[in-house]
Amino acid sequence: MKKDGRRKVKDEDLKPVEKEDVVNEKDVLTDSEDGSIESPVVSDDDYGSFSEDDDSARNSDSESESASEQSEFSEDENDENPSNEGDLSDGVDDINQEYQSASEDSREVVDESDSSEDEVGPRNTIGDVPLEWYKEEEHIGYDVAGKKIKKKERQDKLDSFLARTDDSNSWRKITDEIEDEDVELTKEETKLIRRLLKGHAPHADFDPHAVRPYVDWFAWDGAKHPLSNAPEPKRRFIPSKWESKKVVKYIRAIRKGLITFDKPKEQPRFYNLWGDETSSNEKGHGLSYIPAPKPKLPGHEESYNPSLEYIPTQEEISAYQLMFEEDRPKFIPKRFTSLRGVPAYEKSVRETFDRCLDLYLCPRARKKRINIDPESLKPKLPSRKDLKPYPTTCYLEYKGHNGPVSSICTDPSGQHIASGEPVKHVAWNPLPELPILAVSMGQDVFLLDTGLEKEEQKMISDLLQVETSTTPDESESAVSVSWSQYDKYEGIRIKHFKKLTQRLPFKLHGLPVSSTFHPTRSIFFVSTKKNVRVYDLVKKKFIKKLEAGVREISSISIHPGGDNVIVGSKDGKLCWFDMDLSSKPYKILKSHPKDITNVAFHRNYPLFASCSDDCTAYIFHGMVYSDLNQNPLIVPLEILHGHTTTNGRGVLDCKFHPRQPWLFTAGADSVIKLFCH
Amino acid sequence: MPKHYRPTGKKKEGNAARYITRSQAVKYLQVSLSVFRRLCIFKGVFPRDPKKKVKGNHHTYYHMKDILFLKHEPLLEKFREMRAYEKKVKKAVSKKNKDLAERLLTRKPSYTLDMLIRERYPKFIDALRDLDDGLTMVHLFAALPAIERENIQAERIHNCRGLSLEWQAYVSRTHKLRKAFISVKGIYYQAEVEGQKITWLTPHALQQVMPQDVDYKIMLTFLEFYETLLGFVNLRLYHSINIKYPPILDPKLKALAADLYALTRYVDAKDQKDGSNNEESELRLAQLQHQLPANEPGALMHLVENTTDENEEDEETRTCKNLFNNMTFFLSREVPRESLLFVITAFGGVVSWEGDGAPFEESDQNINYQIVDRPTQSHRFISRDHIQPQWVFDCINARIILPTEDYMVGKVLPPHLSPFVDNEAEGYVPEYAETIKRLQAAARKEILPMPGGEQDDLDNAHNLLAEGIIDRTKAKEAAERKRKMTILQEQYHKELKMEMEGTQNTPTTPKESKKKDVDEETDDANLQQFADDDDNMSKVAMSRKKRRLYEAMKISQKRKKDSVDTLKTRKQNIQKSKKSSD
Repeated sequence: MKKDGRRKVKDEDLKPVEKEDVVNEKDVLTDSEDGSIESPVVSDDDYGSFSEDDDSARNSDSESESASEQSEFSEDENDENPSNEGDLSDGVDDINQEYQSASEDSREVVDESDSSEDEVGPRNTIGDVPLEWYKEEEHIGYDVAGKKIKKKERQDKLDSFLARTDDSNSWRKITDEIEDEDVELTKEETKLIRRLLKGHAPHADFDPHAVRPYVDWFAWDGAKHPLSNAPEPKRRFIPSKWESKKVVKYIRAIRKGLITFDKPKEQPRFYNLWGDETSSNEKGHGLSYIPAPKPKLPGHEESYNPSLEYIPTQEEISAYQLMFEEDRPKFIPKRFTSLRGVPAYEKSVRETFDRCLDLYLCPRARKKRINIDPESLKPKLPSRKDLKPYPTTCYLEYKGHNGPVSSICTDPSGQHIASGEPVKHVAWNPLPELPILAVSMGQDVFLLDTGLEKEEQKMISDLLQVETSTTPDESESAVSVSWSQYDKYEGIRIKHFKKLTQRLPFKLHGLPVSSTFHPTRSIFFVSTKKNVRVYDLVKKKFIKKLEAGVREISSISIHPGGDNVIVGSKDGKLCWFDMDLSSKPYKILKSHPKDITNVAFHRNYPLFASCSDDCTAYIFHGMVYSDLNQNPLIVPLEILHGHTTTNGRGVLDCKFHPRQPWLFTAGADSVIKLFCH
Repeated sequence: MPKHYRPTGKKKEGNAARYITRSQAVKYLQVSLSVFRRLCIFKGVFPRDPKKKVKGNHHTYYHMKDILFLKHEPLLEKFREMRAYEKKVKKAVSKKNKDLAERLLTRKPSYTLDMLIRERYPKFIDALRDLDDGLTMVHLFAALPAIERENIQAERIHNCRGLSLEWQAYVSRTHKLRKAFISVKGIYYQAEVEGQKITWLTPHALQQVMPQDVDYKIMLTFLEFYETLLGFVNLRLYHSINIKYPPILDPKLKALAADLYALTRYVDAKDQKDGSNNEESELRLAQLQHQLPANEPGALMHLVENTTDENEEDEETRTCKNLFNNMTFFLSREVPRESLLFVITAFGGVVSWEGDGAPFEESDQNINYQIVDRPTQSHRFISRDHIQPQWVFDCINARIILPTEDYMVGKVLPPHLSPFVDNEAEGYVPEYAETIKRLQAAARKEILPMPGGEQDDLDNAHNLLAEGIIDRTKAKEAAERKRKMTILQEQYHKELKMEMEGTQNTPTTPKESKKKDVDEETDDANLQQFADDDDNMSKVAMSRKKRRLYEAMKISQKRKKDSVDTLKTRKQNIQKSKKSSD
C-alpha cells in the first residue's frame, strides 16, 4: 500500500511516463497472476509484502492481459551481459518467470526463489561456458531433456531498430544471451538496479542498521561440546594479582582514614575555646599587640532628637561649604520629632568600611596621652622682683627725627645719646677721654669730634686722615661700625670689618652682617648670615666658628665678661652662646614673631635686650657666674611696648644706658624712647 | 665613602632591616595582595610606623617580625592549597571534564579560624575587649540585604542575625545592658560583660543604603573573623549561665521573626530547669512552651525571676534588673519592636507586642505602659500610659522612672541626650540633663533644689556648690552673672532715681557710662596685655618641645571652648526668638 502511495506521487510528477507505468504494471500483474504460486521459501518479509502488493494491485486492476505480449517478453529475454545476470537475477526472482521452451508443451513453470542457486529455471543447461562455442551452431544449448534449444530468428538491424523506435519500452529491454530471449525489466527491477548502482541495499524497505534479535544460525543439534576444545587457562582459577594490589591499597587508605564511607560526623561549630584559661600562658607573638582605639562614642549632637542648640542654623550650614574639606564637620545634627521618622543612615556601610580600613591599614603606635594642665608646662622662673632693677616703663620720648631712627648710641658717661636717621650705624668711642663718634653712612665712615681738647684733636685728625684715605677703596657700602677698647695701638682705631678683611688674610664665607670686638682681648667677631666667625687680631688667625642654626643672623652682641655672645636672627630667635662650652648655642629663645633687629648687653647689670620689628623689646636677665660649672641663668623679664609700626618696621635699635639699668630704643616711627626701672 | 655605605656581606641593620614596605612583604611571602590582606585581617597584623622611613614617606611599613609571623601561619599554606584547588576546578570545567569537576567540588578544602582566635585573644577577657567592632559589623550585616553580585550570601546574613540575637538574648537575660542611645546612625548600646564595657551600634531596621564604591570583599573578610569570634564568645557566655549553645529556637516564633523573643524564652526556660541538663527534656520543654496557651500572659515572662545568682550580681546589675520591675509594656505596631524587646527585658520589664506570637493581647489589664509612636492614639486605655519609645531609653540612661507627662503621645519630646558624654568634662550641660539630675536626686531622696528657673540658680550658687552638683567653673559663672545683675540693678536704680528727680540727666548717663566703658576697655586692654606678656615670657623660657605641646594644648582647649560658646550663643538665640514670639 505504501508503495502505491509513493508511486502515485511519482506519477503525478512524471505524467508522460504514467501510461507506460500503468501498462507495465498490468504486465507485471498478469505475470504474477499467472504464476499464482508464490515461493514458499521467502526469507525476507519484504518480498512477501511485495508479492502481496502485487496481489492487491491485481485485485484493483482489470484482467486485461495479452498472451502475446507476455510471450514476447519472455522470448526477448536474452542475457547479453553475463555480469548483469547476477544483478538482475534478484530482481527477476520476484517475477514468476515463465520459461518458454521451443515447444509450448515443454514449457514449465518453475517456482522462483531469491537465492541464485535455485536458478535452475533456465532452460539452457549448458552452464557457464563461453557463448562463442555456440556461435556457429543453430542452437544455443540444451534443455533439461537434452533437446537442442534452437536459436531464434535474428532480426536484422533495421528491423530491430525500427522495433526499438516504435516500442517506447525498448530502453528497458535487455537480451538474455544464454536463454536467447529479450527480457523487459519491470519498474521495480529498474529501481532495484538503480539502488544497486548507488551501492544501497537492493530493497527500499530493507534497513541495514535495524536491530534484530539474534538468530543463532548454528544448528547445535544437541551437541555438548563448545566449538573450542582448548583447556581453561590457569589464570581463570587464581585470584588476580593486580586486583589484590588494588585491594591492599584501598585497605590501607581506609585504615589510615583517607577513605571514609559514612558521612563525617557533624562537629559542633563552636566549642569552649578558652577552656583552660588558667593554664594559658601562651605568649603572643614577639611584638606587642596594640589594640585598635575604640571608635568615638556618640555625643549629644548625634541624637535623633538633640537639644535645639546642637542644630546648626542654616547660615552655619552654608558656611560649612566654604570651609576646607578637612575642617568641615563630618556630621550635621538633625532633629526628628518622632522615632518613626528617622530614616536609615545612608553612610552606615561606608563608615563601617572606613573603620575596617582603619583597622588593617593604619599604622598603630602607642602614644602617651598626657592629660595635664598646660600651665604646668611652664618652667618655674625665679621671681622677677628679685631680679630688679630692670627697665619697665617708658620714661622719656625723644622726638626730633623725621624718618626712622636706624641707629642709636650712648656716650660712655651716659650723658648723651647719638642717633642716626639716614645713617647705617653710629658708635661712640668707649673711652671716655676720647669722645669720638663714628658714623657709617653710605660707603663712608665719618669720625666726628664731640667737644674735644686741642692736643687730642690732632691725633684724631691723623686717624681721620688714615681712615678717609682708605674708605674710598671700599666698593661696598659700610654696614656696621664699632669701637675696640684698649687697643694695642694705644689708641682708638676704627675697625671697619670690610677693610679688615682686606687687610687681614681672613676669608669670610658669605656677606658680613654685623661685627663686634671682644671687650678685653683683641678678638674680633664677625657674623655672616649663617654663622659667627671669631678671629684673633694679634695672631691674625681664625679661632672659631659659632653655628647659630638660625635662618639669618641680624645682630650680635657680647657680654662684658667676654665669654658669652648673643646673636639675634631674622626669624625671631635669640641665641646665647657660651664660648667656653660649645660652638653651638647654649640656649635659643624664640621670643619675637618678627625679625630681631638688634640685641644688646648691659655693661654692668646682668641684663640683655632684644628689639624687633614687632614693635617690642624684650628685657632678659642674663646672669653669668664666675663659677664655670654653673650655667648662665637666663630669665625673660619684661616686654616693652610703645613703638608703632611704620612700613612694616618696628624698633630698629636698642642700647642700654652705660651706668643705669635703662634702655633706649629707636623706632621706625622716628621716636627714641627711654625705658627706666 | 657614601653616607649609607654598607660593606658587602654585612647585614642590614636598624630600621632598614626591621621594617619592610607592603609590596616587599607581599613579595617576600609570595602571595597575592588580596591574600596578604586577608592574612593581615585574620591575624590582626597592622602596619607600624618606623622611626625612620627608609623607603620614603608614602609607603606602608610592616615590622619584619610581623611578616615572619605571617609567614609561619598554617593558613598561608591553606590559602595556597585553595588556590591550587580552584585552578584544578577551573581547568576541569574548561576541559569539560564534568566528572572530575564534580568530584573536586565535593572535596573543597576549607579552613577554620579557631586557632587564630585563640592566638589573638589568649584570654576570654581579651576577646571581650575587642568585641566592639565585631558586634557593630555583625549587627550591620544582619540588617543588610543579600547581594549576589557582591557575594553577600543569604546564609551569612542569617548567621549574622542569629549571632547578634544570641548576643542580645544573653545581655538581656543577664541584665548587663547599661546604656542605650538612639542616634541618627542607629541605636547604640553599651553592656558591661565581665567588667568590660562593650559598645555596639545597630542600624535602624530599615532598608540600608549600599554604596557602590565600597570594597565588600574586605568587609566580608572582617565579617568572617567576627562571626567566628562572636560564635565562640556567645558559646562561652551561654555556658557560663548553664545554657546549651547553639540554642534551639521555637520554630513558630522564628517564623514570625520574633527571634529575640524566642531566644529569651529559650534562655529563661533553660534557666528555670537548672538541675536537669538532659538534652531531650530540654528539647521537649522548648516544644512544650509554644504549645502553652497564649491566654496565660506574662506567665512565661515572669519565670525570669530567679534568685539563684543574686549574690553574684553587682550593685549596678541589680539596679538595672529592677528598673522596670513589675512593669508590663505593650508595643504598638509602629515602634521598633526588636530594640525595645531587648531593652525592656534587659531592665526587668515584661513586654508584648501587637502581632502574631505575642505573649498577651493589647487588651490585657496588667499593661502599665503602651509604647506608641503615632501622632494620635485612637483608643486609649485609662489604666495605662501611652508613651513614646524615647521614654524607655531616657529612663534607662537616667536609671530612674521618669515622669511620663513629657513623653505622652503627640507631645513634643524633650531632647534625647547621649549617655556617653561626660557633661562636666565637655564644659556644657544641656538643660534637660540638669532636669534629669534633679529628678535623680529626688529619687535618691536627697536635698532637692527646687526645679525652678535660673534666678534661683543665681541665688543658690553657694548652696549648689555645697551640694557638689555644680562644679567650680559653673559657680564662677553664676557669681559673675550675679555681679552683673547687681550692677545692672544698681544702674537701674540710679536711673530710676534720676527719673524721680525729674532732671534731664538721662543723656549724660550714657556718656558717663560710655566713658566708664572706655576706661574699662583700656583697663581690660592693659590687663590683656599683661596676661599676654606673661604668657609670652613664659613661652620664651620653654623648650621647643614643651612649647609646641603647650601650643597644641591651647589650640585644643580653644576649639573646645569655641564649640561650647557656639552652643551657648545658639541657645541664647533660641531663647530670644522664643521670647519674642511669645
